[in-house]
Formats: sequence, C-alpha cells, structure tokens
Amino acid sequence: MSPSQASEDFDYEAALFACAQGDRQALARIYQRESRYLLGVALRIVRQRQYAEDVLHDAFVSIWQRAMTFDATRGAARGWIYSVVRHAALNWVRSNSRDVQVDEEATSALQDGMALDAHAERTDAGEVRVSLGRLDTCLEQLEDGRRECIVLAYVDGCSHGEIATRTGNPLGTVKAWIQRGMRSLRECMA
Amino acid sequence: MTDTMNPRPDDDLQALAGEYVLGTLSVVERADVEKRLPGDAALRSAVDAWEERLHPLVALAPPAEPSRTLWPRIEKSVGSMLDGPTASTESQRPAAPEQRTGWWNSLQLWRGLAGSGFAAAAVLAAVLATRSFAPAGPQYMVVLVAPADKAPGWVVQTAARPAGGGAQQLSLIPLGNTPVPEGRSLQFWTKANAWRGPVSLGLVTPGRAIRVPIEQLPPLEADQLFELTLEPANGSPIDRPTGPIQFIGRAVKVL
Repeated sequence: MSPSQASEDFDYEAALFACAQGDRQALARIYQRESRYLLGVALRIVRQRQYAEDVLHDAFVSIWQRAMTFDATRGAARGWIYSVVRHAALNWVRSNSRDVQVDEEATSALQDGMALDAHAERTDAGEVRVSLGRLDTCLEQLEDGRRECIVLAYVDGCSHGEIATRTGNPLGTVKAWIQRGMRSLRECMA
Repeated sequence: MTDTMNPRPDDDLQALAGEYVLGTLSVVERADVEKRLPGDAALRSAVDAWEERLHPLVALAPPAEPSRTLWPRIEKSVGSMLDGPTASTESQRPAAPEQRTGWWNSLQLWRGLAGSGFAAAAVLAAVLATRSFAPAGPQYMVVLVAPADKAPGWVVQTAARPAGGGAQQLSLIPLGNTPVPEGRSLQFWTKANAWRGPVSLGLVTPGRAIRVPIEQLPPLEADQLFELTLEPANGSPIDRPTGPIQFIGRAVKVL
C-alpha cells in the first residue's frame, strides 16, 4: 500500500480533532496508520535510524500538542501531519552537522537507494507517477539538473552545499537552479 | 511593462516560503521564518501553498518500520503531559482538558465562572470607571480571573473613542502584579463566539496597563472571550495560544 492509497479510507481531520479533545486513541490510530511512512520521510532526511526515531517521537508529541491549532481551511490534515514531521527532521538536520555523523556505509547505501528512486518516475511509470499527479507533470517539464536539485532537497533534506557536492555542480548554479525550478513549478501548478 | 520585466512583489516571499518548505534554508533562516509565520498571513499562506504543492514528493521516501519501543515512548511522553504539570507551570497547574480542547470551548470553565459573584462587583466598578468618558456606542468590560481560584487579576474595558474619531482601543488594566517565570511571557488573546479561533492582541508586561488598538477587529460583542496565556518569551510561535491559561473572562455590556 502506498502512502497515497493509505489516505483513502481514514479521516485524518477527525483524528486530529479527536487529539485536540484529548483522545489518545486518535493519536495511536494516526501512528498505526502512518508511522512507517513518516519514519521513512524522517529517515531519508536525518539518515540515521536512531535520530530519525527521536525526530518521529518529538513530531508525534508536537502533533498531540498542536492538534488544536490545525486549521482545515489552510490545508489537508494528512499534509499537516507530514509537514510537522518533515520540519522536525529538517530542523534536526540543519542544527546537527551530519557530515561528521554519517558513516560511509550508510552514505553509500543511501546513494544507491537514491540513484534507484530519485527518478523513479522514469523507470517505474505506474505507481509513483500516479501518486505524484500534477506535480510529476510539472517536475517532468523542468530541466534534469533542476528537477534533481529539488528532489534532493525535499526528499533527502540536502542543503545547497550538499547538493553541489553530490551533483558536482558549482554552489551558485545549484542555488540558481533551485530558485528558477521552484518558480517554474509554481507557475506550472497554478 | 510585462510581468517578466517587472517581477511581482510577492516573488521574494514566494522564494522564501518555497525554500523553507523545500528545506534548503539554514537553521537561522528557518528559525526566522518560523518566528514570522504567526504574525505574517501572506507568508503563512505562501508556505501552506508550497506544502500542498510539494507534498506528493513524500511518496519517494521508502517506508521504514519503527522499532517496537517507539510508540510506548510517545505514549509515555504524551501521558506525562496529561497527568502532571509541566516544568514551566510549577504552581499554576493547568487544567489539561481545557488546554486540549481550547479554552474557548471549555464549558466546564464557564460553568465554574458563572456561579461566582465577582462579575457584579466588577461591572459596577467598570461603570464607575467609564462614566467620565461619555463614550459613543456600547461599552463593554471584562474581568479576567485565574482559572484555578477565580481570583480577578486584570480588567479589560473599551476606552472612549478619542476626540476626532481616532482608532477604537481596549485597555487592559492590572489589578495586581502577576509574576511570570523567567524566559516566558504573557500573551493577550480574544475570540468572539463566531470566530474560528482566537486573535492575539499582543504581549503584556505583568503589572502594567496597556492600550490595544482594535480597529482591525470586528466591533466588540457581549460574551466575547479574552484571556492571557503563558507563552515563550517572544509570544506563541503559532497563531493560537500554546501555553496554560493564566487569566480568562467574557465581555459584559455595561452601557
């Protein structure tokens, strides 16, 4: 089951509302439903399992504390849950220099994984394309370099500098590509 | 002049919001955005739109099964928040259900307050206090009491519209000096019955009266809620209260 399919028959908004009412079972239901996908998202950014689990722990405490601030007029409940986890992971990774903490084995395993699925939409036309929807069409229209930068940043939590190292492009180029790529995405998805 | 030659004014905002969501900002820039979000509706809606646009990319991260110990850890952390006072609220033990559901929904609290006799005396005091202003339009006053012992701590009243039709103001007047723990602040909020959530009226210094312009808000109405919550030093990081209620009250029409 892919994460996008998981959302079909679960009322995330009702679950958040129940959390806001102090219903711990509702938080457990969200965890049961989403924890493996959320940990996947955090792990990809944080890269070390132990820290990724710490991030997910903190994110679930945040979800519980902030459930009453969720505003359905501002976006979907499931997206809100993922945002809480992603930003917790990003804050962790930006305040902990990971260069010294990632061992080589983990790095190469990640790079292998990345090579396989960073552009999964090309080789696996089915599922990923379906779940990315309109975004996929718009990413497809970007030049390769720009698309790769955006995926490395969003999915792998890479900084400008890390993207420059990984892709072998100058830092200034990476920054410009991301800026232009994002502008094109916004226009494409308007 | 065409759009391409004359960039739209929100391009910078879009770029900032986009890179915040994308994750490429530094830790300092991220903190800066998170600090701006509660008070900057344009930035907030740009961030929301970017979250929605990029969200499908989460599907590219392969799932990872959490260890069996993770949920019990989360449950324990959440449980300790419900069962006991947190370190920051020492003596003022917050009433957990009120906090969870939002104080504006707390029937229990309002039932408790309705029975106590402080309101009548306070209304009389307000009538005496406002009489000399000869204000135009209805006047309201609010007594803010501590939820725990219902002790009045602050009074809110609508100040007279200044001569020449200046902005309508609220006065928040302390009845005593309320100590605030080091590194925390008191934040002032209001919410009318029909509003979705409370609106911040700013930070308050314990023991000091403040005047708040309210021309941005709909006219005050009877039963409108006001409260002071304990928040981080720079106020709530979001657009709702995050800390325990220190004082709370409802507007009463006095003229």
